[in-house]
Amino acid sequence: MKIKEGFILREVAGNFIVVAVGEAVKTYNGLITLNETSAFLWNKLIKGATEDELVDALLSEYEVEKDVAIKGVKSFINRLVEAKVVI
Amino acid sequence: MPRYKIADIVFSVELNYNYTKILCKEYEYFGQEQDAFTCKPTMQDILAEKQKMPDYPEPFLEGLVVFRKLCDYALENADGIIFHCSAIMVDNEAYLFTAPSGTGKSTHARLWRELLGDKAVMINDDKPIIRKVDGEFYVYGTPWQGKHELGTNQRAKIKAICKIHQAKENQIKPIGSGEMILTILNQTVRPTDEKKFDKLLVLLDGLLKSVKTYSLGCNISKEAAELSFNTMKRG
Repeated sequence: MKIKEGFILREVAGNFIVVAVGEAVKTYNGLITLNETSAFLWNKLIKGATEDELVDALLSEYEVEKDVAIKGVKSFINRLVEAKVVI
Repeated sequence: MPRYKIADIVFSVELNYNYTKILCKEYEYFGQEQDAFTCKPTMQDILAEKQKMPDYPEPFLEGLVVFRKLCDYALENADGIIFHCSAIMVDNEAYLFTAPSGTGKSTHARLWRELLGDKAVMINDDKPIIRKVDGEFYVYGTPWQGKHELGTNQRAKIKAICKIHQAKENQIKPIGSGEMILTILNQTVRPTDEKKFDKLLVLLDGLLKSVKTYSLGCNISKEAAELSFNTMKRG
């Protein structure tokens, strides 16, 4: 699982947003908003983290139960898959 | 080659059709300032627009080519952005209504004009330009002023931005910049170049720090206009 080239995360006025730039705009013209936790996961994923590593990252950063972390990562990934932001 | 001054930006255009010339008549410029840029729409440029908007005739699309060039220049060199909204001026201060097309921002602006009469001046009913000048944000009229062609060639300092949704009961509340930013990003031309996009974000961040922002739920009535005007005027 990898974030496609051309997608960038930015923070503006307290919002985390993902947009496509450059060539990627031809295939994605929308705007994705992320909450703080999802932005945290995004920054791990873009550095090449696997799904398991995302769960571990959540567990070490936030005080959550493992099954909650797994669920969180799954729903995060699902959103990116639906938006066709990842390959 | 005709010359124009839009949002205090002077430029020349070499046009293939008359449409844009007629559209921009009020903005023609005969002064001494130098051109910031020259725009020569080619058939290739026009056909590229046609691919995105196949139902529109070439003369209209040529106007869009000019419009895009102006927006590009404005963002790159003049701290300017295009913002899809109805901009109305009262006592030298501008109020901007934004919403997805068809929600009723033009209708609400009309209610203001009915309420306030000559005191209310339409700056632009569709695509004004916002510019940061000496640290302050102004809205400027442009020739692209919507289907009712309402607007004037002047600028006004922005006092408030209000997003509108339809509602049975009229209600207005101040909202944070975080709630407004997404609306604005969806109602402006987002550059595809990363550096330009970042420039846009910095500009919008500054804008939202310097004006008041509101969310208005409204019906089509005089009361709706009274509520939004009195609330935003007070600040």
